Amino acid sequence: MLRHFARWDKLFVQFLKRDWKKILVWILGVGLFSAGFVPAFAEIGKGQGFRGLYETMQNPAMIAIVGPTPVDRAEDYTLGAMYAHEMLLFCGLLAMILSALHVIGHTRREEDLGLMELVRSFQVGRQANSLAVMAETVLINVLLALVTGGILAGYGESSLSAEGSLLFGASIGMSGIMGAAVALVMAQIMPVSSAATGASLGIVGALFLVRAGTDLSNESLSMLNPLGWTYLTYPFAENRWGPLGLAAVFTALAVAAAFALEGRRDLGAGYLPERKGRVAARKTLLSVHGLFLRLNRGVILAWTIAYLAIGASYGSIYGDMQTFVESNDLIRQMFTASGVSIEASFTGIILLVSTSLVAILPVAVVNRLFSEEVRLRLSQLLATQVSRARLYWTNVLLAVLAGLAGTAAAAVGLGATAVAAMGDGASMDFGDFLTAGFNFFPSVLFFAALAALALGWNPRLGKAVYLYLAYSFALNYFDGLADFPEWLSNTAVQSWIPRMPAEPFDGTVFAAVTVISAALMVAGYLGYRRRDMAEGA
Amino acid sequence: MSEVVIVRNLQKSFGRVKALQDVSLSVREGEVVGFIGPNGAGKSTTIRILLGILRRDGGEARIFGKDVWKDSLDIHRRIAYVPGDVALWGNLTGGEIIDLFMKLHGGGDKAKRDFLIRRFDLEPGKKAKSYSKGNRQKVALISALAVDAELYILDEPTSGLDPLMEAVFQDEVRKLKEAGKSVLLSSHILSEVERLADRVVIIRQGRVVESGTLEELRHLTRTTITLATEGDVRELAAVRGVHDFRATGNQATFSADREHLHHILSEAVKLGIRNIEAVPPALEDLFMRHYGN
Repeated sequence: MLRHFARWDKLFVQFLKRDWKKILVWILGVGLFSAGFVPAFAEIGKGQGFRGLYETMQNPAMIAIVGPTPVDRAEDYTLGAMYAHEMLLFCGLLAMILSALHVIGHTRREEDLGLMELVRSFQVGRQANSLAVMAETVLINVLLALVTGGILAGYGESSLSAEGSLLFGASIGMSGIMGAAVALVMAQIMPVSSAATGASLGIVGALFLVRAGTDLSNESLSMLNPLGWTYLTYPFAENRWGPLGLAAVFTALAVAAAFALEGRRDLGAGYLPERKGRVAARKTLLSVHGLFLRLNRGVILAWTIAYLAIGASYGSIYGDMQTFVESNDLIRQMFTASGVSIEASFTGIILLVSTSLVAILPVAVVNRLFSEEVRLRLSQLLATQVSRARLYWTNVLLAVLAGLAGTAAAAVGLGATAVAAMGDGASMDFGDFLTAGFNFFPSVLFFAALAALALGWNPRLGKAVYLYLAYSFALNYFDGLADFPEWLSNTAVQSWIPRMPAEPFDGTVFAAVTVISAALMVAGYLGYRRRDMAEGA
Repeated sequence: MSEVVIVRNLQKSFGRVKALQDVSLSVREGEVVGFIGPNGAGKSTTIRILLGILRRDGGEARIFGKDVWKDSLDIHRRIAYVPGDVALWGNLTGGEIIDLFMKLHGGGDKAKRDFLIRRFDLEPGKKAKSYSKGNRQKVALISALAVDAELYILDEPTSGLDPLMEAVFQDEVRKLKEAGKSVLLSSHILSEVERLADRVVIIRQGRVVESGTLEELRHLTRTTITLATEGDVRELAAVRGVHDFRATGNQATFSADREHLHHILSEAVKLGIRNIEAVPPALEDLFMRHYGN
């Protein structure tokens, strides 16, 4: 049996050598992000800040987004408890997604690209690669846990105990390991790596939505949710190590299942069957736009549905919001003081955040053109009547339309459920949601335009757009709490755009961002039409 | 007869690496030109420049009299291309991909497509990711042969094909030649080039080292002669124009320079010739001389 894992250690060392830069960025990036906001939160907490914040965090909307806290009284809401409450779930998700993508990249994707065949021909066991990747990912997450915990403990804050800090780091590391295990299983079942990625992310997303529901209604049900084991450890507040044990057992079972599945399948195949093919092409395929649509339809469909679901899950909260505001004087003061209803403020924030997510789709579509080029599929197209202009603009247009679809999906999902939840006497109607959503569309265009610019001049920077997107997302996500100086906020495009319906529509900004985006796309084209096409991976 | 492809003093660098230096070649109408050279010599780079995929740094490159970069679209209507490394979209079937390429080229012959699919023994309903290397090659070949073009640019078109399919391919190219089409054929399979090409261009390390018809090139190499003489054959070893002399008993094998053939044979006659065999220079020898040292 051990033969199956032969030489895994050599592969393990190989992976470390190959990935060390990525690992460094990963651990430092996520670690600093997870532990770095303590000073900002401490700032907010000055005076009676924590008590007020405690009341805010009891809002069902907030519980749905970040999860619950075990603290019962506002007085007990220390910096530590608050920090864990705000950050743990989100950082855990981040670690989970990164680990999942990493595992699939090193297993299924390499298989699909034919890189595994050569490796397998050597005296390497059938499951050696998977074991090596899992070991690598576990190591990375353990280091991440230690780094995060270390930074937290290093602040010397009274409420950030050593045990709590370690537990915080361990929770994040554990969720990364679970993500890796899930991805490993999906890599065996799905027929292609993109499907494995989609399935893994889909599972994480589904678990997130389920836990949002159970956190609000019946907290003990959340303990059945694997995602729940990451944040229900309640570092600093209760310090429960139990859930991590459950997570470890789950991981072990999943990994064992993945190994069992891999032991029996062919290289390059999945357990789900392939669908039959056609002998001649349908008319809809016979054009550049037809081809691109066909290549991207899976991605576009999956993400659009995801946006719809995200919008809908937040929309369902709107019913509770009204009752919540009316129940508490302090809250009523905080939110209605500015003359705007809580629903309107909340809408602005949610759409701001979801816009960053929506921007992922058009960037992915634009970057796809480069991956096609690197895989040498474009040279055959370029030898026909297809011009570079047609390739570029068809792809960019598709990206823009995809962005439009995503924006619409998020706005519709949010609006439809919100209006339904609010019932009669609602302060906003469906149209308000749609306009508020489309108001952010230029920022989606902006990210698509950045990716297009990279495609034209330096296509390997296409992935870097995701980094900027993540940065903007984080900036907006925490802006409300940390209250960044204006110049910092403005480094994220979305900050320029007013948050409807609370703030009025600004036609100048809308037009300006749109025009800038269009100009960037044209600049990208100018680069695209004169550069050499890549000759290989 | 006009020149369909004109390449003069082509230059191309990637960063500091000089990929092509002063490369010149031409393809006349109705001609098949063999484009050969060691791996990494610059064959694919030259072809990619001709297709407008890479932008040349200097020199002239024209097809049908038009600039390959500026007027690429006009040119592409009249050419067909088979790449060296065929990459296909895994989830599309062979048939769908062929149809797509035909449509993007501007139209092709459906009957011809079906005929070629049968002739090359391809299963068009299978998804491309399940094709072997040879079958992927067939998809690209069929796509190119099914459209009507004046110039066919083929970059190692038969790599991965079995001998039967190789024969089919050669037959199809012969038909193209008979129809008066022009072909630029880049290949490592020297027998293929020998059988199909009218002229050969040899490129090495980014420069053209030899170019001419096969006949002209043969003149540059040596004939292999096996001789059995009455007298001591070893006396021939010192004769001018004799190379790689090997003898057992009174039988010797050596390579003879063409220009010294008469002199060598005169000397051999003096020894009394019992038996003589002369083998025309193998193309392998010709190419090996240029591929190596």
